[in-house]
Amino acid sequence: MQLTGLDLLFWAAGLGAHLILLSVLFIRRRFQVFPIFTAFIFANVGRTVTLCFVRLLGSKAGYFYTFWSFGILDTVLQLAVVYEMYSLTFRPLGVWARDLRGAFIGLVSGSIAIAAGLTWLAAPQARLWMQIVIIKGTFFSSACMSELFVGMIVLAVKAGLPWKTHVARISQGLGVYSIIDVLIEAGHSYLGLVRDSQAYTTLSQVRMTAYLFCLAYWVVMLWRNAPDSRRLPDNMRGQLVQLQNMVDSDLEMIRARER
Amino acid sequence: MSTRTVYFIVAVAIFVLALIAIAIYYYRRSQKSSQKNWERLLKRLTAVDRSSIAEVALDIIDESGRRRKDEASAVLESEQIWKMVGGLKGLEVLEANCAVLVDLAFYVQQWYPEALVVAEQLRLSARDIEWHVGRLKSAQQTGKLESAFTMYAQPAVATYYLMTRRVLALYEERNLAMLADLRNAL
Repeated sequence: MQLTGLDLLFWAAGLGAHLILLSVLFIRRRFQVFPIFTAFIFANVGRTVTLCFVRLLGSKAGYFYTFWSFGILDTVLQLAVVYEMYSLTFRPLGVWARDLRGAFIGLVSGSIAIAAGLTWLAAPQARLWMQIVIIKGTFFSSACMSELFVGMIVLAVKAGLPWKTHVARISQGLGVYSIIDVLIEAGHSYLGLVRDSQAYTTLSQVRMTAYLFCLAYWVVMLWRNAPDSRRLPDNMRGQLVQLQNMVDSDLEMIRARER
Repeated sequence: MSTRTVYFIVAVAIFVLALIAIAIYYYRRSQKSSQKNWERLLKRLTAVDRSSIAEVALDIIDESGRRRKDEASAVLESEQIWKMVGGLKGLEVLEANCAVLVDLAFYVQQWYPEALVVAEQLRLSARDIEWHVGRLKSAQQTGKLESAFTMYAQPAVATYYLMTRRVLALYEERNLAMLADLRNAL
């Protein structure tokens, strides 16, 4: 397949945006807080450069396997980024909030079940079984990711745990992109690989455009500093300690009655 | 287009719309939480019939919060308690006040990271109480509340009574302007 001018533009824009974001992560020292997210961006730079060399020097089959190997790595790293965002939000004291353990299990199993159900319904048409696996696998992954990010918002609000500023920005970017990606991958699944390949390619370009916007959002937001925290006034500290004692005592009483 | 493809398209459309609706709803809730301030949060305590609540609570506990063991204790019948509490709504008041505590913890964790430990303990305790009240509500839904009422509801009301009394004490200590309104409400 011959690369068009638009393909080259996307390639260059993607590489440039990833490099800028990587620079921001290092210059502003965000990599210390978000090592997995930094690795995810770094892997994307590596993928773009490697695929360029493979395309110029390698075979068509070599390009195919390299592309999808990086695709799998990308999915694994995206899941790791989800873990990192959850970890930064739901471990305020260094351990997972104990009131959310059941909710985590429910969220993960529910997300997998719903994504699996939707993937089972998809019936993409393709010449090779491997193409079907790839289309379905990509759709499954995007559905899971979108559910996990929306689930993160729900759990944080219900549990009363605030997002740190940059965690919120990374999660929002990846969450919105994941939801768009569900639609794109559903379109890919509907079109398959035996019908209109131009429409298939156009959908891929829409996804890349959405991702470029997401990268631009991260660059701006991660460059900015989070709002400064405030010093706790003494009277508020006193109130807080008393409230804590009060709730502890109430809780003990309820527990005692239930025994 | 096959029937399965139609199902797929409809299912994906519902899935995406549901995700967007849920995300927007909870995102807006989190934005609202971020904009609250300490005093406004404390003002969110729900108004109840305090004399009835006190009567139900003091039937099983004394003023210090200890369980009464004298002969005159625990004499209220389930029906009386149900009426005085105002049914399940009385229990929901306790739950609503726990939600205030969770919001207070959210506020502190967001703006005062130095108080993270206390705020997280407060949040966990309040969530724990919510869970216990949830059990009472579940008993009501499954039609077992009557049998469980004395066992669960009266202690929950007593807990509410103690909690609001202590919050009032906090307000008195700080001599806050809204104390009179708050006292009337509670």
